[in-house]
Amino acid sequence: MSEFLSQFTDPGMWRLVLTSTWQTLIMVFFSSIFSFIIGLPLGVVLHVTDQEIYGGLKPMPLLNSVLSRIVNIFRSFPFIILIIILMPLSRIIVGTGIGTVATIVPLSIAAAPFVARVIESSLKEIDPGVVQAARAMGSTNWQIIYKVMIPEALPSLVSGMTLTIINLIGYSAMAGALGGGGLGDLAIRYGYQRFRPAYMVAAVIIILLMVEIIQFVGNKIANHLISKR
Amino acid sequence: MEIRLKGLKKHYGTLLAVEDVSLDIPSNTIFGIIGKSGAGKSTLVRLISMLESPDSGEVYYDDKRVDTLSKGELIEERRKIGMIFQTFNLLSSRNARRNIAYPMEICGMKKDYIEKRVEELLDIVGLSGRGDAPISTLSGGQKQRVAIARALAVNPEILFCDEATSALDPQTTRSILALLKEIQKKMNLTVVMITHQMEVVRDACDFVAVLDQGRIVETGNVADVFAHPRNDVTKDFLSSVTNVSESVVRWSQENGHYTLRFRGNSTDEPILSEVANATGALFNIRAAGVQSVDGEEMGVMVLDIGPSADIVRRAIEELVNRGVIIEEEGATGGVV
Repeated sequence: MSEFLSQFTDPGMWRLVLTSTWQTLIMVFFSSIFSFIIGLPLGVVLHVTDQEIYGGLKPMPLLNSVLSRIVNIFRSFPFIILIIILMPLSRIIVGTGIGTVATIVPLSIAAAPFVARVIESSLKEIDPGVVQAARAMGSTNWQIIYKVMIPEALPSLVSGMTLTIINLIGYSAMAGALGGGGLGDLAIRYGYQRFRPAYMVAAVIIILLMVEIIQFVGNKIANHLISKR
Repeated sequence: MEIRLKGLKKHYGTLLAVEDVSLDIPSNTIFGIIGKSGAGKSTLVRLISMLESPDSGEVYYDDKRVDTLSKGELIEERRKIGMIFQTFNLLSSRNARRNIAYPMEICGMKKDYIEKRVEELLDIVGLSGRGDAPISTLSGGQKQRVAIARALAVNPEILFCDEATSALDPQTTRSILALLKEIQKKMNLTVVMITHQMEVVRDACDFVAVLDQGRIVETGNVADVFAHPRNDVTKDFLSSVTNVSESVVRWSQENGHYTLRFRGNSTDEPILSEVANATGALFNIRAAGVQSVDGEEMGVMVLDIGPSADIVRRAIEELVNRGVIIEEEGATGGVV
């Protein structure tokens, strides 16, 4: 027990924890942004091209089912396998298949279909009457998307993004184990393989804190948006 | 702006929503289209307002055919009409002011102009000073006022009201109808009012068309239709309005054999007594009431007439001569 506690006084461990935390933050931050950049238009297209009775502005059944299929395939892939498959892509985009930066590529691509579905379902919640009114007033489809749909769905989009970021923290821990670094990597390599439970505990607590903080901030923003309505 | 509909038809799969509708909606009037749920009202308003195109038939605004416009032209044309809805359909992400600004924004109008116009519109609908209110803080009546302001923002010549008062209580309904009437006069609007409430037709409309199973079964001036309904669906609507109207006293639930309708001056005269004296007819009144339609008094009476067939025939003749409209129970068309 005392040996376990003494690990916590080792400054070397805290240096490693700090570096790993930073790496996790980098992975989560950038993959959140990129998955949103890919997922937002994808989600909008999924919704807009859906059948009219489900709120589609411009039904395009073929495009919709092809996109939907692709999204489903990516979502049903076990993430750990997706990373391995996407390593060559990382090499093309960032020049390396290994490391924190390289991991951002598979993380973004793995999360993007999830984001797309989250955004699609947020958009589906919008009162169809509001969209009908916007159409009756002579809005173009584009105006309906950016002046009506997205602002109307904003609180729900924020909640969806919070969910995505928290998912990405989990994914990043897995990606870390495959050479991406970060807190997951630290917990496995030091905590598990080298029998240093203190590393495991530290990593878990920090991940827990991250999740709590992100959930708290996400809720705050969503509630603030709702309270102004 | 005048609206003309020619042989409109619209199916959804096998469901026939609008069967065959031809209608002239004169310029600068309030035109009511009444029908029960499922009669095809919502579809009809979507067809007239260019939200959907008919399977067959034509829609004209003045002399311009609008059901065959291209996508871009449609958007242009929609920007010249206003529409309000049962559920208001305001943007919850915007406050009252920015909701009213929306139709002007999408047309690319100048910011200064929009701001000025929004204040004007808030004033017109009686919501000055409430511009910053989030939509959720407004009452149903206030929401409909914002919706009306939004519909008027682009100075439309046509205003469509799709069950605009159905979600409102009777008092708020009256105030919204009063506002619509006032605005109609001030802005020379053609107002098309879709509703299932006969009170709305009575209190606000100049003309009415009765829609049943996708067809117009009766149309005309509101006072005429109230005084002399021809179709059973219309009579149904009228009996619902006389039932709920406080001005009607009904002291028997049973129907009499005859329904008498008095109109204008004939409500002031002792017609029944005169006819009874002249013919010896016996009247047993079962229900009666008076309501005001478009400023005109409209009386309804349900009664039995006796004692003999000959006297009944003469009594009816006398009543008809005095301008009373008579319907015999069970007789279709109802006019004796």
